[in-house]
Order: sequence, then structure tokens, then C-alpha cells
Amino acid sequence: MKKYGKNILLALVCFLFIVALNFFLPRLLPGDPVAYLTGFDEENMSAAQMESYRQALHLDKPVVVQFGYYLRSLADGTLGFSFQKNAAVSSLIGQRLGYTLQITLPAVALSTLLGLIWGLHCGFCKNTLTDRLSTSFLILLNTVPIFLIGLALMLVFCFQNRLLPYAGLNTAGVLPNTPAFYWDRLRHLILPILTLTLATAPSRFLLMRNTAAKISAEKYVLYARQRGLSNHKIKFGYVLKNIAQPFLAMVGMSVSTCVGGSLIIENLFSVNGMGKLLTDAVYTLDYPLMQGILFVTAGIMAISMIGTDLLCILIDPKVRLGEAL
Amino acid sequence: MIKRLFSLFFGLFLLLLFLTAAIFPGLFTAYGQKEMFAPWLTPEAEHLLGTNALGYDIFTELVYGAKETLFVGVCSSVLTLFLGAAIGTLSGAKGFVGGVFNGLIHIFALLPKLVTLIVLAAFVGSSSWNLILLIAAFGWVGTARAVRARVVHLKVQPFVENCVIQGYSPWHIAVRHIVPNLSDVLLSRFLLGVNSCIMMESTLSFLGFGDLYHPTWGTMMNFAYKRGAFLRQAYHYLLSPGVCIMLLSMAFFFMSLYFERRRTTIQEP
Repeated sequence: MKKYGKNILLALVCFLFIVALNFFLPRLLPGDPVAYLTGFDEENMSAAQMESYRQALHLDKPVVVQFGYYLRSLADGTLGFSFQKNAAVSSLIGQRLGYTLQITLPAVALSTLLGLIWGLHCGFCKNTLTDRLSTSFLILLNTVPIFLIGLALMLVFCFQNRLLPYAGLNTAGVLPNTPAFYWDRLRHLILPILTLTLATAPSRFLLMRNTAAKISAEKYVLYARQRGLSNHKIKFGYVLKNIAQPFLAMVGMSVSTCVGGSLIIENLFSVNGMGKLLTDAVYTLDYPLMQGILFVTAGIMAISMIGTDLLCILIDPKVRLGEAL
Repeated sequence: MIKRLFSLFFGLFLLLLFLTAAIFPGLFTAYGQKEMFAPWLTPEAEHLLGTNALGYDIFTELVYGAKETLFVGVCSSVLTLFLGAAIGTLSGAKGFVGGVFNGLIHIFALLPKLVTLIVLAAFVGSSSWNLILLIAAFGWVGTARAVRARVVHLKVQPFVENCVIQGYSPWHIAVRHIVPNLSDVLLSRFLLGVNSCIMMESTLSFLGFGDLYHPTWGTMMNFAYKRGAFLRQAYHYLLSPGVCIMLLSMAFFFMSLYFERRRTTIQEP
């Protein structure tokens, strides 16, 4: 219980770290914070405009009061105001977050499942031919940058054989909420999800394989074998239970890495998600929007970490039945 | 044994190839970095990989890119190593100091690295040195963890106990007796660190946040993608920098594999 409590605390501290970073970054760096917080060039603004922005952003007040205003903007869910796009940051992100999650969540599920099942199998029969082949293959795959995987898949499936679409999430002209629309969306999602899965699976696989190999050397596994239990039963009844906790921690971690990976993939496949929004924000120097996206990503990270830790508490028999066990 | 040496030599061979390309680019290509030809030439004997949208020879660009890529990777990895060794050793300390640095390691392990790096790079500007500092500032976690594990293991060894009995200060023990024993962890972490730093840098450059004055392989792929290499069917232009990144990171990985195995064979029997 104490261990999981500590993990949850760490996730919260990490989240607060991002919040503090967001607040202090524009105020501590050289340059006028007005320029950072509006994204406009200082030279193009008149003194009166400058002053009005300074008041609108509460920059004339002491830092503590500014921090209070900042926290309030986070609490009421606007996350600040993008002066360049003339909209609240939260509404901009809200439109796009769905697309990002449509890529991220299936990829998290697929890559962790692949890592779990295949890693469990290879760790259980360590040093067999299957294990060696798949381990060396995935180690090689681990050295390939994610955008190279994406480009190679794109070349094979979109340009050499015209099997799948290569850009966007919809074909123009398909009416929403019809079966054809969902089929079209699915076809557009295949390649981004596949790329993200292939890029994140190797590290998951290697972690699970090593954990499973360590557990398989335990004496109770030997005993289970001596009793003549089937490999299937030992794998899923004994080894799986013991790697469940590191597995869940890994799922929690992988959500935030997949959101990061999704940034690259959205740019590669021209998907109009949060990653594309972030690169647009960087190119147009829309600092409030960038900060909002960083905040949302940190939020996703914190939620997934806390969620998996709570799940660990629920399934861990040591906690469930009391520490005395 | 032969297999182990093979992985070392394979890694060294690839690395030497890229190093010579970085130091003596003239050996590989007869053209200058900014020499212009007709745009979009197809691969042939004179232009091994053809030319790009501006008429630069792609193979020459690749050769000159090796220097920038290796420079960013190695510099940030060295910084990472120092940061990781310092924080890892401090986190092995007793009491408040150890607790604080251990917490720091856990917090940085959780941070969404790529998004934070992009936002920070946008704020401080993305020159080569800024990128190196930023990548190092967020890349030391793995090293610190490995160092911490070793420090915790070393702390209970008899020779450290002996030092404590002799009345040496904790500072002296850490610097004179524990840090020299970290060399093999640091070596293998350095090789893996170069790997992850190069990956990070090329990802940032591919997204267009790299230093445009010092184009690395990631920047090349970004240009290729943006300037319509797909439509021109110049697939080699898109893929060749990526393959180079892959080969370079493979070189470091194979070398680290050798040292990793050497360590386990020394420790186990």
C-alpha cells in the first residue's frame, strides 16, 4: 500500500512540476513576458497595446497574485487564452484531443498486449530458437527511429501498392455517422496505429521478457513443472500473476510515451490531432497554446499513472488481504 | 567468445566508418557541401543518391550530416553521463540528500519527455548547443538509475565498511572509493546514451525543431518530407538518412552489448 501511495504522490509531484514550469518559463526567460504570453512580436505592438495586454494578463501584479490567476485559469478549464487564434486554449485542444486518443489508445493496448503475451512466452522458454530470433529481431527494431518505420510503411502500403490512404483521418465527401464513414476512418487509422505499435512494442517486449525469465527461474515454477502442469497453465496461472504489477506500471508509463510518439505520427500522416496543433503552435510562436498542450499531456500522464497504481492496489493480494500475508 | 568479439568489431567498424565521414568528408565525396547541380536527378554513378530539390548532391549531404549528428549525440551524451553519475551517486547517500535526489530521478522518469523538450526548445530557441543542453537535461534518468543501483550495491561491500571504520568522510568515500568503481556502468551507459540522444535529436529535427544551420540527418528527412520527395518518387532521399541513423545507433548498441556481456561474465562465475 505504501509503495503505491508513494507512486501516486510521485505522479502528482511530477504534474505540479510541469505546472510550475509552465508558469515560470515565460516569466524567467530573457525577454518581455508579454511577448511570450501573447505570441506577438514586441516591436509590432504600440505602447498602449502592450499596456492593455499587460493588464489583461495581470502582469502588473505581484508574482504570487499572478500564480493565483494562473491556477484559476487551470481550475476553470480554460487553460489560458491564445491571442493568435483568438480562442480559449482548452477549446482548441478539446477539438483535437479526440483524434490523438484514437491513435494513442489502440496503440497502447496493442503494443502492451503484444509485449505481454509474446514477452511472457519468450521469457518462459528462454534461450530457445523462438526466443532468440524474436529477441534479436525486436532489438534491431528498437534501433529504428519511429519516423523511418512510418515512412517505410507509407511507401509500401500507400505508394507502391495503393492499399491504404496516407493522409488525414477522413476522405473528403464521406458523410459522418454512416457505416461508410466508420469504415473510412478505420482505414485511415490502420497505418498510424501500426507505426506507433511497432515503435513502442520492442521496449515493452524486452521488459516483459526479462521479468518473465526471472520469474520462470523461481522454485515454484520448477515445482509446478514437476507436478506435470501444462505450460499454458504455468504461464498464465503462475508467471502472469507475478508479472502483473510491473506490467501494469509499464502500461501507465507507456500512455505518456505513446502520446509523445503520436506527435511524430500525426505530423507524418497529416492527422489533425494535438501533435499537429503543437507543431503549428511552435511555428507560429503561440506560447499559451504550447503550454496548454504540455499541461494536458502531463495531465494524461498523471491520470494514467494514478489509474494503474489504483488498479495495482485492487489486484495485489498483499494489499487486498492485508500486509500480514 | 567469437560471437562477443564479433559484436564489438561490427559496432567499431560501423562507428569508424561514420567517424571518418565526420572528420574527413572529402574522402567520401568529391563535391562540396553547397555545390549545386540540376534538381531532382535520379541516382546514377556521378550522384550516388541523386540530387535534392535545391540541386545539392544527397550523398554529400549525408556525409556532411554525419559530423553534426555525431557531434550533438556525443556532446549531449557526455553531459548526460556527468549529470547521471553525479545525481545517481548523490541519490545513494543516506538521509535527506539521498531522498531528494531519488525523488528527482523518479519525477524525471515520469515526465512526458518529447512534449516538454519541444516546448522548451520553442521557448529558448533551437540552436545546436541549446538542443544539446536540453537533451542532456532530460536524458540523464537512465544513467542515474544504473549508477544508483551500483552505488547501493557497493555501499554494503566490506571495503566501504572498512573506510567507514577508518573514519573517512562520506564525501571522500564517495569520490575516492565509489566513483572509480562505476567505470564499467558508465561506459555501457555512455554507449546507450549516445544512442538515445541521437534518437531524440533526430526526432526533434525531423519535426522541424532542429538547428537549420547545422543540418543533421533528422533535418534532412524533414526537408525531404516537406519538399515533396514522395511526389517525385525520390524514396531514397527520404529513407537514406533514416537508414544512417539506424546504422549509427546499431553501432553503439552492438558495442554496448559487448561490454554488457563482459560485465555479466565477470560477475557471474
